[in-house]
Amino acid sequence: MTIIHNRSLDDIAETGPTLGGNAVTRAFSGGSIGRLIGMLALIAILGFLTIYPLAMLLYGSLHSTPPGLAGEFNLNGYRAIMTTQNFLVLINTVGISLAKTVPSLTIAVFLAWIIARTDTPFRGTLEVLITLPFFIPPILTAMAWGMLGNPQVGVINLVWRSISGSPDPLVNVYSYGGVVWHMCQYSIPFLFLFTVDAFRAMDPSLEESSRMCGASRWTTFRKITLLLMLPVLTSSFMLSFIRGIESFESPLFFGLPAGIKVITTDIYESINHRATPDYQYATSLSFAIMGLMFLLVIWQWALLRGKSFQTVTGKGFRPNVMELGPWRWVTFGFCVLFFIITVVLPVGQLLLGSFFRFFGFYTYEMLTLEHYRAVFSNSEFWRAVRNTMMLGLLGATATMALGAVVAYVSVRTRWRGRSLIDGMAWLPWMMPGMVLGVGFLWAFAMLPGPIPIYGTVWALLLAYLALGTPVAVRVMTGAYHQLSYDLEECSRVHGASWFQTMWRIMVALAWPAFAVGWVLTFFGIMRELSASILLYSVGSETLAVVLLKLWANGNAEQVSVIGLMMMLLVILFRWVQLRFIKARISKL
Amino acid sequence: MASVTLENVTRMYGAVTAVDQVNLRVKSGEFVTLLGPSGCGKTTTLRMVAGLEKNTGGRISIGDNVVSDADKGYFVPSERRRLGMVFQSYAIWPHMTVFDNVAYPLRIRRRTDKEIQDRVMNALRLVEMEQYAERPSPALSGGQQQRVAIARALVFEPEVLLLDEPLSNLDARLRTQMGDEFRQLQQRLKITTLYVTHDQSEAMALSDRVVVMHGGKILQVGAPEDIYRRPESRQVAAFFGTPNLLQAKVRNCRPNGGQYYKLDVEGRGWSGECHAAIEIPAGADVTVMVRPENLQIGEAGAANGGLSWAGEISQAIFRGPHRSVMVKTADQTLHIETPSLADVGIGRAVTVAAPSDAAWAVRS
Repeated sequence: MTIIHNRSLDDIAETGPTLGGNAVTRAFSGGSIGRLIGMLALIAILGFLTIYPLAMLLYGSLHSTPPGLAGEFNLNGYRAIMTTQNFLVLINTVGISLAKTVPSLTIAVFLAWIIARTDTPFRGTLEVLITLPFFIPPILTAMAWGMLGNPQVGVINLVWRSISGSPDPLVNVYSYGGVVWHMCQYSIPFLFLFTVDAFRAMDPSLEESSRMCGASRWTTFRKITLLLMLPVLTSSFMLSFIRGIESFESPLFFGLPAGIKVITTDIYESINHRATPDYQYATSLSFAIMGLMFLLVIWQWALLRGKSFQTVTGKGFRPNVMELGPWRWVTFGFCVLFFIITVVLPVGQLLLGSFFRFFGFYTYEMLTLEHYRAVFSNSEFWRAVRNTMMLGLLGATATMALGAVVAYVSVRTRWRGRSLIDGMAWLPWMMPGMVLGVGFLWAFAMLPGPIPIYGTVWALLLAYLALGTPVAVRVMTGAYHQLSYDLEECSRVHGASWFQTMWRIMVALAWPAFAVGWVLTFFGIMRELSASILLYSVGSETLAVVLLKLWANGNAEQVSVIGLMMMLLVILFRWVQLRFIKARISKL
Repeated sequence: MASVTLENVTRMYGAVTAVDQVNLRVKSGEFVTLLGPSGCGKTTTLRMVAGLEKNTGGRISIGDNVVSDADKGYFVPSERRRLGMVFQSYAIWPHMTVFDNVAYPLRIRRRTDKEIQDRVMNALRLVEMEQYAERPSPALSGGQQQRVAIARALVFEPEVLLLDEPLSNLDARLRTQMGDEFRQLQQRLKITTLYVTHDQSEAMALSDRVVVMHGGKILQVGAPEDIYRRPESRQVAAFFGTPNLLQAKVRNCRPNGGQYYKLDVEGRGWSGECHAAIEIPAGADVTVMVRPENLQIGEAGAANGGLSWAGEISQAIFRGPHRSVMVKTADQTLHIETPSLADVGIGRAVTVAAPSDAAWAVRS
């Protein structure tokens, strides 16, 4: 997707009106010196954020000792990862990701069709509810499902045993099924966001003409609608598959206890769960997985080349809405059921867990508020709240600012080197959080002594900045593409300077996209676990890290309390976003 | 080929009536155009015939078969109506080649490969697109897409052909050319055609009959020349071009020997003869319509029969093929189109005249 996107950016810039490009270029700081300095600064920043950790990853994978210690160069790391056991891990990783992508895509397309193309009641509200799970940090639902589906004391199994009288549990989330199940809860709303607009934007006459040609509704759906959506579906499939390979929370919570290993948890374990952390092994594995991601991205690119059907004609039309009759209550029920399973059940479990002395023992005399007291008097918790809020606010702002500048340079100017910075900003797209975390571990350790970044919150900030930049650039590129060059040129003609034009025209017109991207980045930072868990140290914990530590200590009840706080924050932000920012997130 | 019959066809959107009690019969092999400004209900009417929209009242028949009867709750879905349709956006499926697009209606009907090959190539030959058969359809220009859309609509020899503003996305020159080609094709195949447009000249050039619609209702149905020269109401008169509409009183009314009536009318500061479709009693108020191209400018005082006005030239605009001239009379300003060869002097006193058969009166 991104590659396609970048290509089209270049095309646009190439074919963009010469006058516009030159006018803007010429006017910037009155000459090429300012432009040169600006470009060098951008290249330096992006280089530090993306190329440097990547290079360090390669360096570390060939280095025999942990970061910062003297050692020799060898290929032991790569030799160590070439084992049968690791081959199984690779099969597991790919298999689990495939197993979750296929059903998720099917359900997501069905949901998107219900929302965009049927007369199901309360579609507007349902759309908000269906997409809500996407914004909940996965660690929260992972923990909630850990309690719901625990084979011994999980609510689902308690209820099942009391109904059926059977001594065996109904579900066990600590299994392959559990891992896949938890991933699906995130993939479905994510894929839904991707496909629903494709359904909406399709020119209805493309389908109507098929019906006029004698094809039934079902034939039309198969032969026209689905095939027209094939590019969108393919790219959603690939994206979801890639995210499945990057996924950390689901295999960490449900896979590891059952002995199911995937690549991300293997990297995590080899650093955090061994008597002596094996950095070379972890780094080699990280570099290998990046190679895999690179192949996947290339494959995605090849699949999609020349297949982006322009189904949007730019004319206003309302999509075909199918009247379902009494069936519309069935589709309504399906959407509500999805919401209950993905949001109501986990949040209900957190609520339940937070008020009882021990989760699993839900009797009247076990009711208590002590967990709330414990959490609120815990200074580590408040420090994590401060860290998370600070990182979120600062990180989202910095990421979006960087993204806005990079996107501007690559879309709206013809400066030399713009493809370079565009490519650099896109690099982290291939790096799962865990891999980037390992890269930055090396990167910070190799910095000269007087720059003490390692172990501070700034280390996390830099990692978040790198992780968020590709999305930020995408959001802003999309926004700039919709603004015609005329708008800028007209402002210049009427006497505004370059900076005035930037501020009064570009910023004024692009800010809704900026805001959407900001909220998205903020959510991204709040939920980030895989890089944080490698880069935090005492004093710089985030909420997600504190949650994981509490959970590891068996403190599920306090986890519930903190989880509820985070849930409130998610709902508050989502509400603000829906209420005040009309632009759609799915424009990504 | 089949006829199309609409009886009291109505479409409501909530409390809004988009199409109001429309009655129309399109004869077999006839080319009928629904004409009107946007929002007049013409596209909705077409879509109801297509079965893409359900009529909330009335009955639609194609040939001898009722396809939709709102009162009985009977409705035949689009795909079983055996229609061909060309959409405004052409709706060429971008994931298929030209051949596949045109073959689609036949493949849906499970025809043999041989038959599909023959008929698709025939249809493409009809629109002169046979050399583009293997092209991917996104690589077509607007005019080519339009031809493919027509080929696809014709390939399975539908009962009726429906067209929804098919020329509106083309540039002016291509629009005229495609329109003429399409009219020839239609006359050759003798296919019943229902055509929607908001372009008056397109409607007149193509149709056997024109249906003028406004606010969901039919104002007038008739041959293009009738609609243009002999409108039944002021609204229809005003819809075509920019006619001069003059208030007058009838002094005398008599049959002219043919199917029309001859009137003596008198306006403020002018009088003369004109025609009307119906007998209008003396003393009644009428609106007299005179088309700009039927008015002639002569020297002051030189009037001869028909209608004439004395006035002074206030404005002249060169438009290439003709010249628009404004003449200020005692009553109002007349709009005249003259050949563009001769220059006219601004401020000159002139007499404007029209023959009586170029002036048409409707009750106002």
